[in-house]
Amino acid sequence: MLKMENVSFSYDEMRNANLKDINLDIGDGEVILLCGESGCGKTTLTRFLNGLIPNFFDGKREGKASLNSELIDEMPIYEISEHVGSVFQNPKTQFFNVDTTGEIVFGCENLAMDASDIKRRLDNVVRDFGLRHLLDKNIFKLSGGEKQKIACASVSAVNPEILILDEPSSNLDSKSSWDFKAIIEKWKSQGKTVIIAEHKLFFLDDVIDRVIFIKNGKIDNEWTIDEFKQVNHRNLGLRQLNLNNLTAKHPDYYCSSPEFMEIKNFRFNYGRTRVLDIDSVRIPKNEIIAIIGKNGAGKSTFANCLCGLKRSCKGELILDNHSLNRKERLKKSYMVMQDVNHQLFTESVLDEVLLSMDGENEEGACEILDNLNLIHLKDSHPMALSGGEKQRVAIASAIASKKEILIFDEPTSGLDLKNMMKVSENLKYLQGLGITSFIITHDYELILEACSHVLHFEGGKIIDSYKMDKEKLKEFFLE
Amino acid sequence: MGFELNFSIDPRTKIIILAIISFMVFNDVPMYVSGILVLIPFFCLFFSDYKKAAVIYILTYVIAKYLQITILPNATGILAIVLITFSYTATRMLPILMMGYYTIMTTKVSEFIASMEKSNVPKDITIPVSVVFRYIPSVFEEIRSITKAMKMRGFGLTFKSLKSPLKMVEFYMIPILISAVKTSDELSAASLTRGLSNPKKRTNLISVEFNKFDYLFLAISIAGIAVYIYYLYGGALIA
Repeated sequence: MLKMENVSFSYDEMRNANLKDINLDIGDGEVILLCGESGCGKTTLTRFLNGLIPNFFDGKREGKASLNSELIDEMPIYEISEHVGSVFQNPKTQFFNVDTTGEIVFGCENLAMDASDIKRRLDNVVRDFGLRHLLDKNIFKLSGGEKQKIACASVSAVNPEILILDEPSSNLDSKSSWDFKAIIEKWKSQGKTVIIAEHKLFFLDDVIDRVIFIKNGKIDNEWTIDEFKQVNHRNLGLRQLNLNNLTAKHPDYYCSSPEFMEIKNFRFNYGRTRVLDIDSVRIPKNEIIAIIGKNGAGKSTFANCLCGLKRSCKGELILDNHSLNRKERLKKSYMVMQDVNHQLFTESVLDEVLLSMDGENEEGACEILDNLNLIHLKDSHPMALSGGEKQRVAIASAIASKKEILIFDEPTSGLDLKNMMKVSENLKYLQGLGITSFIITHDYELILEACSHVLHFEGGKIIDSYKMDKEKLKEFFLE
Repeated sequence: MGFELNFSIDPRTKIIILAIISFMVFNDVPMYVSGILVLIPFFCLFFSDYKKAAVIYILTYVIAKYLQITILPNATGILAIVLITFSYTATRMLPILMMGYYTIMTTKVSEFIASMEKSNVPKDITIPVSVVFRYIPSVFEEIRSITKAMKMRGFGLTFKSLKSPLKMVEFYMIPILISAVKTSDELSAASLTRGLSNPKKRTNLISVEFNKFDYLFLAISIAGIAVYIYYLYGGALIA
């Protein structure tokens, strides 16, 4: 049904993520995983199949890609969209509408289907995906998992034979990832072809038929799912398919005799709903602490309160026998946001660090940059850096302003193994500097790699706080 | 209460009213005209679940207008300058801002496209404008998140940062612009894969029609303009 013959492609504007000599034959009803390191060309390949190359991305093309023996680059993109549905990584930017119902029928409306037909299709997907409670809602108010469900329902309403998913689970927690798998299973049972490019693999193992491993723009290897289970994923730079075999790297605290900080009376309401309610909890100082819990469990609210960003959350943090109020916490703590773009303000990496220092001290700033492996970029514009580099610049500015508590909001969402390991190294470096890090994360592999303590949130409360314990953690992630 | 006001107005009405209000507040309109126009955004917001915003808006406006009329003509000194700035900005800009806020928050993208197509506005205009509609709520989200980031770096709304207001504008603008470029790129790609470029006439599941509220508000605002023109030129136009 989908066929690529000797396809090569290089972008006009970028140097990486090009394709070289791709030959691929995808049959009806196959579920295919495309995997490989960041920038290996997975996404580029998906763009060939949904027509974004050449309709949206320009570059040098060679070879033939065909859909039902028709050449894809000779079809107008709206015609491709009847056969190929796409779900993208970022739920924020793939919605054209602000309301859910309008979004689900958007594709059908564009294809000028009959109004009565569209209504029937809407009813069908609402039933299939269990979306009744999400109809007529503002998309900005939904959780990441709900947004992705709406995205899937909207492509499903058009009823294409092929679905192309480009890192759809990057922003999902483990529960929503399992839900996502159920959606893929649904498509599979309807006989649809599904092609999924993804870093996070654990929720995919028994839905996939074939795995294609891409390296430097070439198809490096191909496996059936059974063969793939035997492969050493780490050696290929891939995330784990089966999370059962991982071990915790830091079952004991980093410090031999850890001191504790105490959080008292953290409470916060949205309107009349209490979303955070913590009486008192003791947390080890100078450790790497994982904050886990489902979407909406109060993790982010806690992080905001801890940083002193919520005016109405009084509470206190007792650190080294001092009680810190909101304003003092704001001075001592710093959050590395999920979208780091929002916290880089200046025109060069060096300025970014200097801005955070009390008195400007260029030598000190360079030392910080050197330790974080950023010194060669000191004159670059922060916005021109890669995602990982931006994150390190944010860390550098936190170190420069002598923060003692750092909070990371989903630092590894959408990252491949190599980049996840780099984040973990940065966390350990911060631990060495005496900084306590909190990590809000859905990334089981990262927690086992770096964290030594776990705070488990549910319904705005901390329901468990424990020293790294793989079995307990597994219970939450692999229910 | 026991009574449900099914309030909704057509996107076209919203835009026409927005245009009329914008035109009027930048001219010296007699109080009895501007007073009525100022109430339109209030009623719109009040009847569509933005009661809090509506009340805050109307109170701020009344206070600003009161200051302008009674206290300021005789006031002097620095405080007076601050108050004058406040009252003039509030009385002139607030009605536009609130009507704009109402238009953005209550118009579904699909409604907007449907109503534009009904008036035979070409797709080349409708689509970019609807992207703007779609993008504005996410700008609010971004502003919140940038404000947070600034607070953590120690330059929120403090005395230190107010000394260089241009710097603050820059700090907000750069991340917003960068993400605007990225968002519009990703959004265009996503909508292309969903057949937006199809030349065939789109189906619109939502039907938009003018209802009694549309006629009412349009009548009020057009009457406002008429009275204003009469006020400007007196009888000259008629004679």
